[in-house]
Amino acid sequence: MSAEIEIRNVSKSFGSAKVLENLSLSIPGHEFVVFLGPSGCGKSTLLRMIAGLESVEDGEILINGERIDHLPPGQRGVAMVFQSYALYPHMTVRQNMTFGLENINVAKDVIDARVADAARMLEIGHLLDRKPGQLSGGQRQRVAIGRAVVKEPNAFLFDEPLSNLDAALRTRTRIELAQLHQRLRSTMIFVTHDQIEAMTLADRIVVMNNKKIEQIGAPMEIYDRPATRFVAGFVGTPQMNFLDVTAARPGALGLSVACGPKLSIDTAVAPDVAGEVASLGIRAEAVSLAAPGEGQADGVIDVLERLGDRSLAHVRLDDGQMVVANESGQTRLGVGARVALRFDGTKAHLFDGAGKAYHGREAAP
Amino acid sequence: MSSGLSNSRSFGDRVILALVIALSIVMLAPALWVIALSFKDNAELMANPNSVFHPPYIIQNYINIVGTSAVFRWILNSLIVSIGLTVGTLVLSSLAGYGFARLNFPGRDILFVVVLFGLAVPEQAVLVARHQIFSILKFHNTYQGIILPGLSSAFGVFLMTQYFRAIPKELDEAAMLDNASRFRVFWKVLLPLTLPAQATLGIFTFLGAWNDYFWPLISATKKEMFTLTVGMASTQTNFAQSEGIGYLMAQAVFAGAPIFIVYLFFQKYIVTAVSGAAVR
Repeated sequence: MSAEIEIRNVSKSFGSAKVLENLSLSIPGHEFVVFLGPSGCGKSTLLRMIAGLESVEDGEILINGERIDHLPPGQRGVAMVFQSYALYPHMTVRQNMTFGLENINVAKDVIDARVADAARMLEIGHLLDRKPGQLSGGQRQRVAIGRAVVKEPNAFLFDEPLSNLDAALRTRTRIELAQLHQRLRSTMIFVTHDQIEAMTLADRIVVMNNKKIEQIGAPMEIYDRPATRFVAGFVGTPQMNFLDVTAARPGALGLSVACGPKLSIDTAVAPDVAGEVASLGIRAEAVSLAAPGEGQADGVIDVLERLGDRSLAHVRLDDGQMVVANESGQTRLGVGARVALRFDGTKAHLFDGAGKAYHGREAAP
Repeated sequence: MSSGLSNSRSFGDRVILALVIALSIVMLAPALWVIALSFKDNAELMANPNSVFHPPYIIQNYINIVGTSAVFRWILNSLIVSIGLTVGTLVLSSLAGYGFARLNFPGRDILFVVVLFGLAVPEQAVLVARHQIFSILKFHNTYQGIILPGLSSAFGVFLMTQYFRAIPKELDEAAMLDNASRFRVFWKVLLPLTLPAQATLGIFTFLGAWNDYFWPLISATKKEMFTLTVGMASTQTNFAQSEGIGYLMAQAVFAGAPIFIVYLFFQKYIVTAVSGAAVR
């Protein structure tokens, strides 16, 4: 019930449009891997290539050391949960779950036992004789997962399965998926453009953009030490603040950079990359509000997002740059208030012109 | 205020109801007229057309029809032709529709346009050529001779293609991941989902085949191969059209009865088909 998946130098085009370019990835057994990226980055195509629903143009895909990219979808030992669930509308829930097993002539008592187990695990026993049209979105989602579970596949493939659910149900289903993974210990690949889903579910995240993999890593590694400016900007809410670097010189901690005529931030990045850096990135939680004149830069609050446990202040600096600062608790400040910003340079990241990231020695927790 | 609104609505409803009843009478009057005439004696109708409004009503016209020894043969012929044509059209149109909607093969789109051209070609335009070919093949006065031309249904292929295209491809993919062969995907997953379209196509095809007069008149020249429409027409002499009105009307009722029964059973699908709602 668990598979090691190896993707070697895989490429794919649709007509003249290249969607994946020479992509390699290794997924150990039992791992929950999330393909994360914006629409059109090729993450769903990669998943469909593993499933056998798209051909592999170049390269190879192996499951447990065996090349499978030439096999039809049904013979790859994978099960897929589609974004639209793709339940057979004219079949009952039970028939939906047994169809795949009947096709490979599994004994009836085995089928019954597997359906009963899956139904108990997913709490859909009372729905078995209903048709998909009689189910709610969440129930259909469970049935789609149940249909995958009864096949006892080597790997589960999820293609944005939560995107059709409302926010509350999405959160609940996310937790249930995590529990399912803990219970089954199967290899699971999950495609999403939602970074919260990726951060909460994944053992490892594969961040994809523009036909290639930007970074592979554990969720907090991706968050704390993004490999590129794209990853830094894509992962994290609110988006990381980016400031253009106008000058860089050795400072007290490492490299001290100037971001405009009046703002200077002492970072922990090693000074030897001084000639490379083009921009600085710093997350909102590393920027705090202070009284005017008591920080590194002054500005005015343009927008204030009150989130209950914290507030996000969108501050327009005097030189025109926008920076989002995190204020824990319920702030008494309002829109239009004049404030100063304090930047925690030890948590700042620097990026060169090509987007490559440089982190401080103390940037990671 | 709300009471006034409710009253005006119910008044509006009443006006609409009255209009519907009036229009229904206008629509039904000819049919009722035909049925009433069919139960009257020919001679009595000749003497006084208004006799339809009072007894005696007789069933002699129907006895005369049944008495025509060939009539049951004609009904059987019509049934064989209509059912054969319906089943054949459904099978071929479903397969072709699946092919055009789901398979990639060279020239698919051009072939589909060629099929659609069939919608624009009237039967009369190909009649002579078809007659000659069928003569050479000795297909005239056979069931296949009457059925075969109707099997190439451009409308059926178009309808089924559009219907298959409307079914999400994820269902095919889910079935493929479920180890289903291409035929099993077609047979067990997709075909059952096209039932509304098949009902529409089947009903139209059956009604068209049952009522068809033109091609059976040309292809079936032997009395035992007549369909009901051709057979009934063959009994209508000049005398019948002027002095055998009751018999003529009984024939019309007799020929229309099976269609009426079909309508009773498939009313829901026919309404859907006519309204176009079956095509998603």
